Amino acid sequence: MRCETVQDNLIAFARGDSPPDERSAMEAHLRGCPTCRLALGEVDPIAATLVRGQTPPVPGGFAARVMAAARRGQATEAFVGWNPLRWWRLTSTPLRAAAAAVLVVGLTVGLVMGWTSMPSPAQAPVAAQADPLEVYHLDYLGDAPAESLTDSYLALVSGHNGEGR
Amino acid sequence: MKTPSDEELMLNVRDGDLAAFEQIVLRHQGQAWRVAYRFTGDAAEAEDLAQEAFLRILDAAGRYEPTATFGAYFYRVLTRLCIDYRRKKRPIPSDSVLLRADGEASPAELAEQRDHQRRIQAALDALPADYRVAVVLRYFEGLNATEMSEAMGKSIKAVERLLARAREALEPRLRHLLEE
Repeated sequence: MRCETVQDNLIAFARGDSPPDERSAMEAHLRGCPTCRLALGEVDPIAATLVRGQTPPVPGGFAARVMAAARRGQATEAFVGWNPLRWWRLTSTPLRAAAAAVLVVGLTVGLVMGWTSMPSPAQAPVAAQADPLEVYHLDYLGDAPAESLTDSYLALVSGHNGEGR
Repeated sequence: MKTPSDEELMLNVRDGDLAAFEQIVLRHQGQAWRVAYRFTGDAAEAEDLAQEAFLRILDAAGRYEPTATFGAYFYRVLTRLCIDYRRKKRPIPSDSVLLRADGEASPAELAEQRDHQRRIQAALDALPADYRVAVVLRYFEGLNATEMSEAMGKSIKAVERLLARAREALEPRLRHLLEE
């Protein structure tokens, strides 16, 4: 790039109005041309100093490392399992609305079914009047046959074995 | 075949297309690296920051809407990361300064370049985070006031005021370089 072209465009360069390709070319010229750098210093002294600052190139393999990290992140998410909060955060609005509608409908149906299957108050006294022995089959706690193992055990634990123990 | 725009690629990433995300990375890795390196002054930190910016883009892809250009959106993610980085840790001045390979420079010229880089980086290291971001976006990325406003999420007037204050803070630190 010629000095004349560079010096004609220094104001746009200093204000950040140069197109990217033109900017790159001007930077390359300014790094090697003290005269044009001096001219830039008249417009923007800071720009004239910093234009000599060279940024090193992108490290080799950077994109591959980013992609490897991205794939690891996706694999971890699949392994750990579905995270509903993360799903909600990442999902688009229409899908969220559809999911919310399905949830509301499901809850409503469940509530209605639960409500209709509840026993009516009129049925409750009938259950209260049932014979507990019939209901819970507690007849096995009745008198054991004489000289049976159960009879002996009961005598032992109640202290009535005829020996006062 | 028409090359897809960044916004079109991001819509594909939103639908789970990792190959589209790779295209985004390849197109913008230079931008991410430059901003991160100029902000941190350290190659390892810069790579971590730049990588984190891309992973955040991917993480938020499900909510992406092309309301602004992708470039402005990416700068905004980058600048927020830079400012958060600065809040969490004070930069440790790096003695190692990376230079572009220049086969034509003599050892004396290389030493001079290295010294110049070190002094520029030291001046940037001393700036508050938002001043530093403004300087990097204007002087190293070449963004104008409107682009900086979109990248930083501030009004154009606020950006211009920030840049003016950053220049005032930088000038005494770079005076010896300005006079060379």
